[in-house]
This record gives sequence, structure tokens and C-alpha cells, in this order.
Amino acid sequence: MGAKSFGHYQQIDQCFDELVQADGQIRTPAAAIARFIDRHGSAELIQRQEQLNQTISAMGVCFTLYSDGNNIDRCWPLDVMPRTIPSSEWQKTSAGLKQRLAALNLFIDDLYHDQRILKDGIVPADLVLDSRNYLAPCKGISPRYGVWANICGTDLVRDGSGKFLVLEDNLRVPSGVSYMLENRTVMKRVFPELFADSFIYPVDDYPHQLWRMLASLSPRPGDVPCIVLLTPGVYNSAYFEHSFLARQMGIELAENTDLLVQDDIVYLKTLHGLQRVDVIYRRVDDVFIDPQAFRPDSVLGIPGLINAWAKGNVSIANAPGSGVADDKVIYAYVPEIINYYLGEQPLIDNVPTYLCLDKKQRDYVLANLDKLVVKPANESGGYGILIGPRSTKEEQQQMAEAIKANPRNFIAQPTLALSTAPTLCDGVLEPRHLDLRPFILQGRDLYCTTGGLSRVALKKGSLVVNSSQGGGSKDTWIINDEV
Amino acid sequence: MLLKSLDHIFWLGRYLERLDDTARLINATSHLLIDSHKDSQFSWPLLLDVLGQNGAELLSGLPASDLTVEQQVMGFLITDVDSEVSIRAACTALKQNARTVRQLIPRDMWEELNSLDLFLQEHCQQLQGRQHRYRLMNEVSRRCQMVVGVLDGTMLRSDAFDLFNIGRHLERADMTTRIMDVMVLQQLQPTDIKRPRFRWTSILNALGGVESYHYYLAHQNTEVDAVDYLLTYADFPRSIAYCLHRIVASAKGLPHGAAILQRIWQLQDLLKTQSLSELTTGQLHQLIDEIQTGIIELHQVICTPKLEFSTDLSQQMSA
Repeated sequence: MGAKSFGHYQQIDQCFDELVQADGQIRTPAAAIARFIDRHGSAELIQRQEQLNQTISAMGVCFTLYSDGNNIDRCWPLDVMPRTIPSSEWQKTSAGLKQRLAALNLFIDDLYHDQRILKDGIVPADLVLDSRNYLAPCKGISPRYGVWANICGTDLVRDGSGKFLVLEDNLRVPSGVSYMLENRTVMKRVFPELFADSFIYPVDDYPHQLWRMLASLSPRPGDVPCIVLLTPGVYNSAYFEHSFLARQMGIELAENTDLLVQDDIVYLKTLHGLQRVDVIYRRVDDVFIDPQAFRPDSVLGIPGLINAWAKGNVSIANAPGSGVADDKVIYAYVPEIINYYLGEQPLIDNVPTYLCLDKKQRDYVLANLDKLVVKPANESGGYGILIGPRSTKEEQQQMAEAIKANPRNFIAQPTLALSTAPTLCDGVLEPRHLDLRPFILQGRDLYCTTGGLSRVALKKGSLVVNSSQGGGSKDTWIINDEV
Repeated sequence: MLLKSLDHIFWLGRYLERLDDTARLINATSHLLIDSHKDSQFSWPLLLDVLGQNGAELLSGLPASDLTVEQQVMGFLITDVDSEVSIRAACTALKQNARTVRQLIPRDMWEELNSLDLFLQEHCQQLQGRQHRYRLMNEVSRRCQMVVGVLDGTMLRSDAFDLFNIGRHLERADMTTRIMDVMVLQQLQPTDIKRPRFRWTSILNALGGVESYHYYLAHQNTEVDAVDYLLTYADFPRSIAYCLHRIVASAKGLPHGAAILQRIWQLQDLLKTQSLSELTTGQLHQLIDEIQTGIIELHQVICTPKLEFSTDLSQQMSA
């Protein structure tokens, strides 16, 4: 099948396109979409995008932007063109993601116990122990199954050859899964015929899997566990997701003031009195969990929570302290970490990474700032990043100063030719860069979402996919190619 | 359900009903006023007064403009987001409460609320002529009913459901008394006689109760009128008696149900002990005042369940 379906779609040189092969042929998993456009024409596609926007507005799918001290709710941006991935490829990818999370959890557990990996010199001890994400009060604590990071949102990108690489491990409070689920709901309403026409794996079991995982952490197995989602509140930028997940799982959405700790037991203030809490799915950062343990000035925490957790009376997911493995410097060591704990080779590779704390690598980075992407070790949301080829001399100079002042805090990676997918821009299909964030769960069992949230940079040529910075999204279709 | 959510789900019910009833009040009075003689005592600012605002003061603060008093009052009641009693303000508060207890609301109801909000944002921006206004207010009411209908068909029967319904019926009782007050106040100055002939038709129309009023009249062996009907006829879903019944039914399962019931009995007594047919307009106005005070007290009882969290934990439930 030719690419005439996508009009005069022009691929970007050196970039892998998700839907179109280098020779212009449509990839097999995208055949149904191509047929649809052939049959109905691109005018219909534009109309469906309009319908899709209305659906999103009617469903109230939104995200919150902070701007000038105000919170503004924006409709969630979703592109009408889905991204397709063959199921055979996804199987291998999801095995790699599970492998990675299993190893990272062994690593975190080791760091808070024997620190074998530091003693064996695989990861430099000071790198871990001096990190602000290493929480000394967590030492010696044993969360259920030895698992600290129960929910992980891993960012995947493809290189020019189309190979998936891990860009980041988000182990603190990864967000976005609600949009993955809502994208699918919207697409089913707007393209019912496409879902009838192809074998697209469903994604909607995630909330139940999440609930099962959380329930498996209960310190009182056998009882009906009381699980709550802890949110910073209605003004948080991810509040939509917090309330979405609480609803989908049928659990309470609590703020710190709804919880109290007495005699190392956590209670929920309900209409009928206090109810003992077994598991807290927290969506607040480590340092805001318990002012007594971590940060006296926090108003977001629950005094005494850490003690209750340390005594094993309540489980917290992700466990406090799991952010120690979510650090862009530690990231560089993950292949060794996998090998060390599992005796396996990583199934998914890292993006090549230069550590600025190493003199030789730092010198290379400083000499090539115009070619590299430089990232602070501990930021998220795409903030503080320098994209070399698109930066000014002045920005490069500022980054050089910052690196010299605090080399531990920076890593650099080559600018990737991120993969693209046809995206409806002003009524025409154009290639736009995208990434993929699957979500991996670990409690008693390991689970990986079928696909994930595809985020797309809507600006031409842009590599920044974050919704806070003008990114959009696509529904991700894992299409059965094994029948 | 979280204790904190009590307030929000209760207010969600109140604001939804307020939206509906404000639209009904506007239509009821518009019709009445259009029919009124030029020398009538009844004036547009009265609408603001019965909603607890000082109509004269609000309007005197406005710069002289080409707008008629009617338009200015409608501004306060419909389009003005800063006005406490406007439809748009009620909708903003509705949305805010819904967002806070989003996890308690079924998806279908959320979408219906959203569509209501989008509709109001689009159509209640600017003042319109009377004919357009009439249709718009009808549509607001209809959309409020859609939300309730969807909720009724999809929401779990839970504390949240009960509190939502309590909120709705408390607000409805309150608004029914306010709508009645418009009629009564209209008569206050010219006459002090018993049982003046109110022009109730437009009111009953707006409350959707004309036919059932005639049914009511046809089945009573004493002489009654719309006052008895709106206050005591428990089969009519907008009467005070009906609203109180519904609150009783919904409050039974709540931890502070007993306190709520006690307060409702006091209100019911107030209606029983009065011989309604003997009241002058002045006394009727006073009775309406007393009912409104009772409703405010009832609100406070509902919103402040006496629960002690930090004392003896062993007394508290643990699941």
C-alpha cells in the first residue's frame, strides 16, 4: 500500500517514522488507518479531529497550567492520528521494562540495607550517599516484597534505526496514565469503525491492575484493604489524574488533612469516624510526606506517617526514598545494575550518556555543548534542559558555567533523531517527534501497560513533548501482528 | 466517604437546585411583571430582595446607563459573575464543588455537568430580550434536570447520594419560600386583608405545578389555595412538606441523622400549628421568614456532624 493516504507526507531524514517506512510504504499495523483515509478522504479526518476536540471538552479531560500565579485548566491535546506498534515488538519491549524495574527495585533495597553494589564498586558510593534523593531515615526498612518503586513511568524513545531506548526512569510520582486511558475512550467514540477493523489491544485494565498491586501491599492480608490516594489537592497540576484514578479504583482521594496517625497507625477521617488505612498511593513528593521525618516546613505532610510506615503498619507506594534510583546520573549505571542483580543483559538499552562528574566526559561535554542535550540530574517536566543544536551561544555559555559549578548535577546525551509520526497540523499530515511513556507496576507481581502514553511535540522540529510546554498526545495502538 | 467531602457534595446539590430554581424564579416573575399594571407596587428590584440582596442599594450604586431596571436586575440574576445570586455564579460554584468531589460523581453525570457549564458560558454572557430569556431559562432548567436524571440512574446509593439529595431539597424548599415571598411582598403594601387573591398562576407554571394544583383543589374538602398547596401538599415535589419528607428519608443513614431529624420536626411543627387560612399577608410573610430561618439552622446541623477524631480511638470504627 502506498503512502498516498497521507497526502504529500514528507518524512524527516534520518528519523524513524512510526507509520510509514523509509520507502514510503505504510507499515502493516497502520493499514487500517490508511484504508480509512483512502475511503473517506482527509476532509473527514479534519472533521473527526473537530469531533474529538468536542468530545474531550465534553468529557472535561483537562490538565492544569500554572501561569502568572493562576491555575488554568486546559483541554487535553490529543491528535486524531494514532500511533501504532506491532504487538510482537511490544512484547519484547514490555519484557525489557519489567526487567529494568525489577533490577531497580533490587538496587534500591540494597542501598537501604547492605549496600553490596557500593561495596563491590559497581556504582560509586558517594554518588548515592550524597544524593539528596537518598533518604537516610529509610535505612533498614523493608517494604513488602522488598519492592520500593511500585509504579514506574519509563520514558522510551526510538533512535534513527527505530530501536527503543530508555530515556528516563520516573520512579517518584510518574503521571500521565489517566491520559493514556482517556485518549483511548475518546478515540473509541470518534473512530468506532477503526476499532472494529483492526485488532487493537485494550488498555483499560490498568486501574484494576493498579488496585491489585496496591492491595497486594496491605499489611493486613485477608482483610478488605483500605487504600487511599494521597493528593496535594485540587490545585495540583495533576489533580485531574488523581481524582480519575481514585474513581477508577473506587478508593478515597485524600489530602494530608484527611489522614492522621495515632500509635503508629494511620487513620482516614470519614463521615462515620476513623477508618484504618492499609495502603497509601501517594502522589506527593518524598519530602512532603512527613514533616517530622523530612521537612518541618512542609504543610503537605502527615506527622508520624514515616514511623507508621517503618513499623510496617501501612504501605506507601512508591515507598519514600525510592527516588534515589530516579536520578539521571544513576540512570547511566542502570545497565550495570541490571547485570549485577539479575545476571542478564538489558533487553532495552540506555541512550548513551556522558557524566559531567567524570573529568574526561565533562571535557567532552563542554567542548560539544552545541551538539549535545544537557539535562540537570533532578528536574522533571522538561525544565532546565539545554538542547545544543537549538541553543544560542549565550545559553551554552550559561550551561557551561552551571556544569563547572556543580558537575554532579548534569548529564549529557547526543541529540537523538527521535522517531516521528504523521500528525494533523493545520489540516495537513506532517511528521512530529514523539516519545512513549509506558507504566510498569511491581508489587507481588510485575505488570506493564499495553503501550503507554505517546507524547508528541506539536511544534515543527521540536523535541519537547511535555504538555506544560506545548506538547500534545496520541493514542497508542498495540496491533496484533501475530495471528 | 471522607468527612471533608460532606460540605462539597451537599453544596453540589444546593447549587444545582439553585441554578434550576433561579431560572424558574426569573421566568415566573417575568411573566407576572409583564402582566402587571403600570401602577403596581411590584418592581424588578424585589427579585433581588427575596434572594437576600438589597435591590435598591445594588441598583443605586450603578452608573446611569441606557439599561432599564429590568435589564440591570437580570444582569445581577443571570450574567454577572460577581453577583452572589447570578446563574453564572451558581454555575461556577457548582463546577468548583464538582471538581473537588469529582471522584464521587459518576462519569455520565460529570459530562452532563460539563455540558451545562459550557452551555451557560456560551449563552449567559450577554443580556437578551425577554423572549430569548424565557427560552434560555427553560433550557437551563431542562439541563439541570438532565444532570439529576443521569445521577439518579447511575450514582451509587451512598452517603454522597443522600447528601446530594439533601442539598437539593433543602435548596428547593428555600427557593420555593423565596418565590412565594415575591408574591406575598407584592401584596404587602396595598392591603392587609386576609387571604388576598394572589396571582399564583405564573408561579405555579414556573414550578411546573399548574395541573397538579388543580388536582389538589379537586380533592380537598376544605377551602384551600396555593399557599396551602406550596407549603403543605406533600405529594407536590416542590412543596415545602415534600422537600422536608425527602430530607428525612435521606438523612436516616447519616451519622448525625438524629440531629437532622429533630430539626426537621421543628420545621414541620411550624407548618402544622399555623392555621394558614387565617393569616394576613403580613403574617404569611413572617411565617415564610421563620421557615427560612429554620432552613438556615437545618443547613448548619447538616454541615457540622459532631465527630471527635483525636479522643478515644477504640470507640471509633475500624474496617
